Amino acid sequence: MEDLKSKLKAQIIEALNLQDTKPEDIDDNAPLFGEGLGLDSIDSLELMVLLERQYHIKVEDPREGRKILQSVQSMADFIQSKQPA
Amino acid sequence: MKVKCYIQGMAAISPQATFEGDVFSAPLVHTDSNLLTCMEPDYKPFIPANSLRRMTRLLKMGLTTALQSIRDSGVEAIGPIVTGTGKGSLQDTEKFIREIEQYKETALNPTPFIQSTYNSVNGLIALQVKGTAYNNTFVHRGFSFENALLDSMMLLAEGAPNTLTGALEEMTAEHFYIKSRIGFWKSTPTDSRQLYVQQSPGSIAGEGATFFVLTGTPTAHSKAALTGFKMLYKPTEAKVAAGLAEFKENVDLVLTGRNGDSRYEHFYRQVDTLFPGVPQLPFKHLCGEHDTAGAFGMWLAAQILHTQQVPAQWFPMLEALPANINRILLYNHFYGEQHTMIVLERV
Repeated sequence: MEDLKSKLKAQIIEALNLQDTKPEDIDDNAPLFGEGLGLDSIDSLELMVLLERQYHIKVEDPREGRKILQSVQSMADFIQSKQPA
Repeated sequence: MKVKCYIQGMAAISPQATFEGDVFSAPLVHTDSNLLTCMEPDYKPFIPANSLRRMTRLLKMGLTTALQSIRDSGVEAIGPIVTGTGKGSLQDTEKFIREIEQYKETALNPTPFIQSTYNSVNGLIALQVKGTAYNNTFVHRGFSFENALLDSMMLLAEGAPNTLTGALEEMTAEHFYIKSRIGFWKSTPTDSRQLYVQQSPGSIAGEGATFFVLTGTPTAHSKAALTGFKMLYKPTEAKVAAGLAEFKENVDLVLTGRNGDSRYEHFYRQVDTLFPGVPQLPFKHLCGEHDTAGAFGMWLAAQILHTQQVPAQWFPMLEALPANINRILLYNHFYGEQHTMIVLERV
């Protein structure tokens, strides 16, 4: 799980071009939108694309997306829940 | 077109040091790669970091130049925003198209798609300055900037308090290659300083972002007045000559878009015949050839009129100029198709 979160943080930084942010600056449970990283609605679309490209997971329901993209922890939980056992 | 308008503020990002510093001491930037690339400033003082991270080159260049021209004008509330671009953000367009192929039309990033649209710079400017007035982008190859200018003059004639009028163009490796295949550039590497001497098919590529704040009435800060304007599409030589003759009176200097392309040089040679004894300066060795290079020419003309100085180091071919430069004719064409004549006067 810890490896997945570290990898995810690096992927978020790269996908969103967060130039002055390092993986260790992102708190696992800090909100990604509004406070925390201060991401916006276009970023949420970019993160959906990230999930599809890197983890082959397509989020069909936008309401579900809101919960999944709350934090790095919630994204990692979601990815893990979709991984084959 | 009889409408007169005034340049209140202007800014240019170009291959020369036109954005920051003193243009009269900045050395001439030259190339032998057939491509003049823009000298980009630090964008951080102009664009919030959170927005900057998403923008590609042209968007940063366009937005920054627009904001600088507004600062330069002293105008607080910007009215209509009107721009011209031949190709828009090529970097975003290429990324988007590449990803369509790479990901087989699935999982596409929204950002390059949004920013690949021609009017994305206009949108960013409006958001940044909170402008809710008329907002339009013209995409008409070599007439893109000129149509933006014409539209701006009409808006001013209808009573708009001011317009933010500009042009933007970028060159990418991919686009440079495509255009080289269709004969836009010279087939052998050419020193940009020798551009006008080495007459052969093609020119050298360039890029740039240029913005003006225009008003319908002069102020104490006006830099120049635009008093004559004509566009001719695929004209004969005779029509070009007749067009140039309309602006013959009292011209102190002619700025030409000469670009070393032997296929279309005959149009510019008419200037030699029609304006004997009037000094001429070409400007494409400074900005390269591109759809909206005319905007750079207009910036240069306004700069000369406002300061009553020519950046001599940029013009090794410079001969004696009149003591006062009160009227400049700018004549440019884009590969023999879109021809533009603009008259600028000292205020």
